[in-house]
Amino acid sequence: MVEPILQMKKITKKFGSVTALSEVDLAVYPGEIRGLIGENGSGKSTISSIAAGMQKANSGEMIFKNKAWAPQSMIDALDNGIGMVVQESGTIAGITVGESIFLGELDPFTNRLGWVNKKAMFQKATEAMEAIGVTSVTGDMPMSALDFQTRKLVEIAKVVRKNPSILVIDETSTALSHDGREIMYRLIKKFRDDGKAVIFISHDLDEIMEVCDTLTVLRDGNLIRTFTKEEYDANLIRTSMIGRELKGDYYRSDFKATSLDEIALEAKNLKYKEQLKDISLQLKKGEIVGIGGLAGCGMHALGKALFGALPLESGEVVTGTGKKITDPHVAMKQEIGYVSKDRDTESLSLTASIRDNIAIAGMDRFAIGGFLVTAHKESKYVKEQIENLSIKCASPNQSVSQLSGGNKQKVVFGKWIGCGSEILILDCPTRGVDIGVKQAMYQLMVQLKNEGKAILMISEELPELIGMSDRIFIMKDGEMKMEFKRSEMLSDADIIQYMI
Amino acid sequence: MKQRVTKVLGLLLAGVMTLGMLTACGGKNGDTEGGKDTSSASKETVKIGVLVADVSGEEAQGFRSYYEKYIASNYNVEFTYTDALESAEDEKSAIEKFASQGCKAIISLSGSDRAQQIETCEQYGVYYAVASGVLEDEQFETYKGYEYFVGQVGPSNATEFEAGKAMGEFFKNQGTKTVAIYGAFIPNPMHVYRLAGTIVGLGDTYGGTDDMNGIIGQIFQDQTLDLSKVEGDTEVVAYLQGYGDTTTDELNAAIQKSPEAFLSVGMATTFFTQSLNEAGIAFSDIDSFTQANGDAIENGKLTYLAGKYSSSIGPVFALVMNAVNGNVIRDDEGNAVSISQGYLVATDKATFDEYYVSDNGDSPIYDKATLDSIIGDNVTYADVKALVESK
Amino acid sequence: MKEKRNIGQMITTVLPFAALVALFFIFIGVVNMKGYRLDMYLKIAFNEGVVLAVVATGAIFIYTLGTFDISLGASTLFSATMGVMTYNKTENLGLMILVIFAVGIICSLFNSVLASVFHIPAFVTTVAMMSVLTAVAAKIITTEGGALGGIRIPSSVLKPFDSMGCKIALLVIFFAVSLFMFRFTKVGRRQKFIGGNPLCAYLTGIRYNKYTIIAFVMAGIGVGLGAFLTLVYTPSVTTTTASSIGMNIFIAIVFGGMPISGGPFSKIYAALVGGFSFMLLNDILEIVIESNAAYGITQIISAVFFLIVVYLTSMNYRTAMLPR
Repeated sequence: MVEPILQMKKITKKFGSVTALSEVDLAVYPGEIRGLIGENGSGKSTISSIAAGMQKANSGEMIFKNKAWAPQSMIDALDNGIGMVVQESGTIAGITVGESIFLGELDPFTNRLGWVNKKAMFQKATEAMEAIGVTSVTGDMPMSALDFQTRKLVEIAKVVRKNPSILVIDETSTALSHDGREIMYRLIKKFRDDGKAVIFISHDLDEIMEVCDTLTVLRDGNLIRTFTKEEYDANLIRTSMIGRELKGDYYRSDFKATSLDEIALEAKNLKYKEQLKDISLQLKKGEIVGIGGLAGCGMHALGKALFGALPLESGEVVTGTGKKITDPHVAMKQEIGYVSKDRDTESLSLTASIRDNIAIAGMDRFAIGGFLVTAHKESKYVKEQIENLSIKCASPNQSVSQLSGGNKQKVVFGKWIGCGSEILILDCPTRGVDIGVKQAMYQLMVQLKNEGKAILMISEELPELIGMSDRIFIMKDGEMKMEFKRSEMLSDADIIQYMI
Repeated sequence: MKQRVTKVLGLLLAGVMTLGMLTACGGKNGDTEGGKDTSSASKETVKIGVLVADVSGEEAQGFRSYYEKYIASNYNVEFTYTDALESAEDEKSAIEKFASQGCKAIISLSGSDRAQQIETCEQYGVYYAVASGVLEDEQFETYKGYEYFVGQVGPSNATEFEAGKAMGEFFKNQGTKTVAIYGAFIPNPMHVYRLAGTIVGLGDTYGGTDDMNGIIGQIFQDQTLDLSKVEGDTEVVAYLQGYGDTTTDELNAAIQKSPEAFLSVGMATTFFTQSLNEAGIAFSDIDSFTQANGDAIENGKLTYLAGKYSSSIGPVFALVMNAVNGNVIRDDEGNAVSISQGYLVATDKATFDEYYVSDNGDSPIYDKATLDSIIGDNVTYADVKALVESK
Repeated sequence: MKEKRNIGQMITTVLPFAALVALFFIFIGVVNMKGYRLDMYLKIAFNEGVVLAVVATGAIFIYTLGTFDISLGASTLFSATMGVMTYNKTENLGLMILVIFAVGIICSLFNSVLASVFHIPAFVTTVAMMSVLTAVAAKIITTEGGALGGIRIPSSVLKPFDSMGCKIALLVIFFAVSLFMFRFTKVGRRQKFIGGNPLCAYLTGIRYNKYTIIAFVMAGIGVGLGAFLTLVYTPSVTTTTASSIGMNIFIAIVFGGMPISGGPFSKIYAALVGGFSFMLLNDILEIVIESNAAYGITQIISAVFFLIVVYLTSMNYRTAMLPR
């Protein structure tokens, strides 16, 4: 029997009165890709962050390479063999890729006078990026010039460069598009083949089953079960994740493209930089239109453009009644709702309460005379949305920043559904959301469709596009490449070729 | 979480302690003062509030030291000074505070709004006197009958004009043909009058007139000295005004035009002495007899100094002291007193020393013996006027 | 996690009030100990605080949006100047009051309109406005005032308003209106939301410019009322009138427990609580510290207090801003 490289024994972690981890035992072996899966708040991120020195356990013991393991910080942990790529990490504005990678370790590039040899640092950074298979990024590029996915890759490079014995990857793949993921999968496999270990945390059951050799399920701070590859069974894993059987449909149950005849929203020859090259599109009432493509294909820009939030070079967006959408204010008046991909910065005011975030769009509905906001009416309105969407929260006055990703997204949905949006533009609506909530959202979309509302869903995940859309458009380099109609026969493979 | 709470509590505690300490200090002060009060219960210490706008200038410090060190140790009085007052609102609340602290009289060295000061003092029944600068004639007319307005002793606006004129004449008579002028803080009336006087003294006209009021009006209108309007015997090659350190470039430009003399209507020694000494340009100032000015006249290029001396605010003290003691001195028509105080002029070290040394430390020009001659129940307007004008 | 927040929030909510109450009692204690007249001192402290409280209350609307206005002191000076000029030309009290408020609002509006026309942050225009207004007011005051160094209206004109009752009434009315707008209308709620996340507000269809303009109008009304109360206190205007207000607003608002960055934790009462706390603190220090001690010592102690308050309040908001 091979000795585990890392052993965690009876790890308990409390945040105030909340127990995040309760006496969890976890052993990771060399040459293993270990998946950690669980709903938000299950403790999967907590346990890995304890191993990686980001926080300390209240009790319990860790043994790494046969020695007691008590890292003082993430840097300490990384220097000694456990490196973690975190889920959400702030990048400091205004710094270069090189500075980002070598942040805190500029000494080797610093001469006696305190001058940093930037050229050498940039060169090393470029090499670090190449080492993980990214050739398009050089060390002297400013971080702000990179897109979300590339920044993530820089972070991965930063950790991998130190050549840790265990690589922890937390929810990173949700930020990555197809080719970004390929890079990451290659890296993970290389780690395994080199006899090191990887702890891979994800929401995405399909992905985690594909990538990992063993899979540990956590729920409410408890370790539920560890599956070996032979034991993999999607339904069984799902059930152990949510503690009950997932009842009802996941995606839509029908396979027929349906819609009402009336046009809800129409884009005519939209042009915007390299991202929208003469895009035209019709969205009908009672229809779900899916937009797919790789990151940078222009689909996110399209979402914004339809909401009037992009200064278009030419073309126009009009509603079925002929009203031109010129800015978000007009869009909102025309009962259009927009859920951004960048939920935390564009769709929510994180410091504000759940009440504030839900009520803000609906004030015209419940304010007396469209002006006077009474606590009673507002509470009633907010409570309705919280109940309809079963948002898990202590009270409406709780700050949204305290909610899990899924519940945050529900708040955003509540904001737009509550105010009676007839057209919903959803950009990656299930990003960072766990299965239980995902299912609820898919079913909600079905319900909205049946009510005659029009939905445009932009997504990087093909299964949900196929599972939900009446029509799917694939974009590439700012152009519409292909349109697919809903069909039982439609598969990932049919679509992917138009994306790459 | 615990750490943070402890931190917060710690800070709170620190705050409370700071406050506690401050109040404790306050208590101590209160006690000592209380003690003082009882010991001199036979005759209560007279509290006098002093309104000040300038707290750092040499003249201001000289004044303060004269009151707090010399007067307070020779008479049963206690002076309370304000912090630097910035506006009319500050002045009013300072007066109200003095009144509620039990001050019997207020001496004003701050001039944001004199009318307001007089009205407020009248309202609270506190005697009031002006010790620096004087009221505009019209304003004085309005308030001279107020019960608690004791009066003013200081250079009148006409005196300021004359001081400037004398300075200008001094240089004109020496045969100076080109000068640079520093107008200090225009539109401060004191400086406007001095500046107008200087122009006239140099034998020049401003906008075609050499009449005092004519020039004054124009300067207030122009908010500066417009060199294109200056004509006459002496050429003014450069003019600057404003706070010293903001005018360094202008000073250098003025020096480049190599004037024979640099005439300042105030505060030159504070701002320009070094540069002018280095450039070898003779300069003059209307300021006060202080150590720094003494140095400049002995070792530097300061050739003419019209000045006040620190104890020149002695007669004002005498006036309010008399008023507090029940002898409110009125002029011949029964109005508040207005006595003009002239400037002393030194053009060499010997004269300077005469004034400076004689007004320093324990033997000011207005010493106790001199002041006693105008403090008393039978002192009249004529006595005070005679004494002030003799100095 | 939740507990920590609650304690933190409780502290930031309660602390300013506790501080005000504590300062009030210390003030009473100090005045009594020195044997000064308490009734008069209370009145003085109120008079000092009321103008600041009024102008700062209006300013809260601007701060809530996450921007700030440093021209408020200059606007107060300018609108008082125009008021005095109007009265001296027309001898019409009603017209004077109208001009004071109109000028206050116009100055403020000008800031926001300029900002939205040129697409620059509002505080940038306020920096420019501060210089312009001060200069113009100074020019008027010195030209008109001549040797007096200031302009004034007869003190009898505003005498009827110079009573505690009247001032308190004006303060209460303005505060009540502001409170109502801030808490119970779409306007205030949306302003807070914009302050919390302007980008999200934009993508929720909220018009930034509209609410900026409303905020500046409210601030303008505060300026007008402040200018009016200044004239009630001292019926004269000099170049230094209201000069300390500009900076003090900032300090008062922070003392009152409002986050500097605005947003959902903005508190309308911060101006009131903070304004009076600040004035009480200054008065206490002034009484306690002998005036012949080094000049500026009171300012230094005030500054230390200020830093402590900023630290205490921002501590909570900082943790709130960082995602878990």
